[in-house]
Amino acid sequence: MDHNRQLLDQSLLVVGTATYVMSALALFGYFLTRKPLLRSIGMPFALAGCVAQFAELGTRWWMTGVWPLTNLYGSLSLFSALSVAIFLIFAYRYDLAFLGGFVLTVAAIAFAYGMTWNEGTMPAVPALQSYWIKIHVPIVIASYASFMVAFCVSLMYLFKAAVENRYARRGAPLSGAVAAAGPVGADAMSALGDAPGIGTIRNDTPALTSAAAAGDATAVWLAGLPSLARLDVMQYRIIAVGLPLLALGIITGAMWAKEAWGAYWQFDAKENAALASWIVYAVYMHLHTRPRWRGTRTAWVSVIGFASIVFCYLGVNIFISGLHSYKM
Amino acid sequence: MRESWAELVGLFANVAFGVSLLAVWGFLTTLGVVIEQGKDAAFYAAAYGPPLGRLIERLDVGNIYHSAAYVGIVGLIVCSMTAATFTKVIPRRIPRLHPVKIAAIPLHATVRVAGDVESVRERIASFFAERGWQVRKRDFAGTEWTFADKNNWARRGVLVAHIGFVIIATGTTIYWAKGYSGQFAVLSGATATIPENGVKVDLRRFAYRIDPIATKSGTVYQPIDYVSDATVTGRDGTPRNAVIRVNQPYDADGTLIYQATYGFAIDFRLSKNGKPVPSGGHPLKEGEGFVIDGTSRAIQYQRFVGTIDRATGRPGADPRPNDPGVVIEAFDGDASAGTALLALGRPVSLGAGYTLEAARYVLYSGFQYRYDPGIPVVGLGAFVLLAGLCVSMYFLPARLFVLVRPVDANVTEVGIAATTVKGYDVFEDRFREIVAALRRSEGEAHGP
Ligand code: HEM
Repeated sequence: MDHNRQLLDQSLLVVGTATYVMSALALFGYFLTRKPLLRSIGMPFALAGCVAQFAELGTRWWMTGVWPLTNLYGSLSLFSALSVAIFLIFAYRYDLAFLGGFVLTVAAIAFAYGMTWNEGTMPAVPALQSYWIKIHVPIVIASYASFMVAFCVSLMYLFKAAVENRYARRGAPLSGAVAAAGPVGADAMSALGDAPGIGTIRNDTPALTSAAAAGDATAVWLAGLPSLARLDVMQYRIIAVGLPLLALGIITGAMWAKEAWGAYWQFDAKENAALASWIVYAVYMHLHTRPRWRGTRTAWVSVIGFASIVFCYLGVNIFISGLHSYKM
Repeated sequence: MRESWAELVGLFANVAFGVSLLAVWGFLTTLGVVIEQGKDAAFYAAAYGPPLGRLIERLDVGNIYHSAAYVGIVGLIVCSMTAATFTKVIPRRIPRLHPVKIAAIPLHATVRVAGDVESVRERIASFFAERGWQVRKRDFAGTEWTFADKNNWARRGVLVAHIGFVIIATGTTIYWAKGYSGQFAVLSGATATIPENGVKVDLRRFAYRIDPIATKSGTVYQPIDYVSDATVTGRDGTPRNAVIRVNQPYDADGTLIYQATYGFAIDFRLSKNGKPVPSGGHPLKEGEGFVIDGTSRAIQYQRFVGTIDRATGRPGADPRPNDPGVVIEAFDGDASAGTALLALGRPVSLGAGYTLEAARYVLYSGFQYRYDPGIPVVGLGAFVLLAGLCVSMYFLPARLFVLVRPVDANVTEVGIAATTVKGYDVFEDRFREIVAALRRSEGEAHGP
């Protein structure tokens, strides 16, 4: 790349990083204070960072003619851009902005770590010179990104559920809140009118609600987060994007493997690690069909699932040699 | 007998049991990732310590994906899934129309509207039909119920996903029963035959391209292309030209031949007091060796060095053969007697009158071949599984139970309850919207 092109590449990298940091700070602020202004600042910054990252990858491809996802830098960069994109799409649909600080922080860390692997542009090794790389890699990375966003929701769920348990154990006065606890019929919903905030419809944290009513500041703050049921639904919906994508990623990987290595399944470490993650999320889906297991248990499975994704994505490349370790 | 069969089916159909099997499958799969596969006992003993090494050997963990435990667990999953599908998924997911206690269902609402029962029932039916709900009416003991379904067809998504998994399992079994695979290497100018099908591969030439690339951390030698120029003769006896590259396999009578590796075979020349002595008889590939006749000594060819660094006399970074050499290891019995770097074409003395020369190299190409008649079946299974996943994830089947009852001559009460295959929470918003829309469209009446 000539000097001007390098400058453009560098500038986009700087813009991407800076906007992510700004967005993460603003959205953390929003999470803590619920000031709409912070959200109005954080969300456009997130969008700008995401656009800058896609632009950086796109210009790299355009300027060098080399597909940018053949090394860990490109792949981590796409991971963070897609995480932010998926977050933005869900935030648009389900008012997820309160989660932005977490998602943006993970995205920024992934991006910054990816930059340590930024070797500039290199031609691909023969095994990667295939049109499959343009199909398989983005699909797999999109599934990882979805699981990351779902993981942030799961953490939020577990946090709120743990605090609720603590308040319940402390025996907070349950006056009034008890009546509203548990499943609520639509009659009760309609009494709230058409515009209650996200997650305030169902009260499945009675101890928190009553503590909030009694003026406990932490409880007031936590009660403003979506209900546990709502968090569970969000987590399910995001995993429902990730699981078919991971399945498709494994299938396209198998098709590529058949072409490149002779067999659709070589029992390579990466393939099996992806299969193991897929199994964890299949377990999630099955547990989620049972009302008794929906909630804390499924949230934990989502956390385990994301740990397995991190292992599959980075752990296998770093600690285990195999057919896929050409990335390092 | 029948009872114990029913108990067994009940156990297998239990979701907790199925999920436990899936968890074990996931655990075994991860174990195979963490513990390197296909190594020998000595490797595991060295890597994990003798007791753990022995355990790995005994439990076949070093070959986990082909172990009885692994294949067994997948077999059990198929059985469990089949039992669950017939005893749980089908009856529960595709339930018959039946009356319910509306107030007992968490998502429920009552709306009072003006009009008599018959006209309200008709209006309600068209309200849902206009919004894409499939409306059905049934009479239960003189009470007429209205049922409205959305995405009813998608109730079969789970079934489709489960069938997809069974098809994949069948496809992989076909390979185990009928397929074969293997690998072979051919020297440039030589011919190899695939034993299972008699296909001959005559390697005319192998070529590679490796480019030096300047990176931030120095020069990296990046492989760009490997290509075998071969003549392949299949069952019909006609030789055909084949250019075989990575990612571009050649199909010989249904057996796919892939470019897998390449290497530098070495023509070693051994002499004693100037007279040639046998040294393997053919160019040796990396890892091969020969025993020096009449002695307990052996020479093993370890690896090819493209460029010997002139300044240090040690292997350089450039893998391309500029100033090539080979690393050999000498053995006395089983014990290593040391390694040495030999420049190509320069004889060295081994002592006792022996002289060894790595005379020249011949490029060879390593191929993998595979005949897998199960591939179309696995492909179909993958497609079906994915379709099932998408259907069950993106099309939420919901059912509304509607009961219309008179309050007085002019006011009618509409009771509505909703169920979905994924619980109530997931439908809360939608249900609220539906009820609000119904209230708006009917202009809610207030009875006594
Ligand atoms: C281990 C054996 C298995 C058992 C016992 C089992 C059983 C079940 C049951 C009982 C349901 C829920 C039915 C309902 O609530 O109406 C279900 C749902 C489902 N199963 Fe399985 N299953 C097994 C394995 C699998 C596998 C290997 C797959 C992968 C393809 C799979 C894919 C699905 C899907 C996609 C759903 C729907 C999930 C949802 O609607 O949220 N199952 N399974």
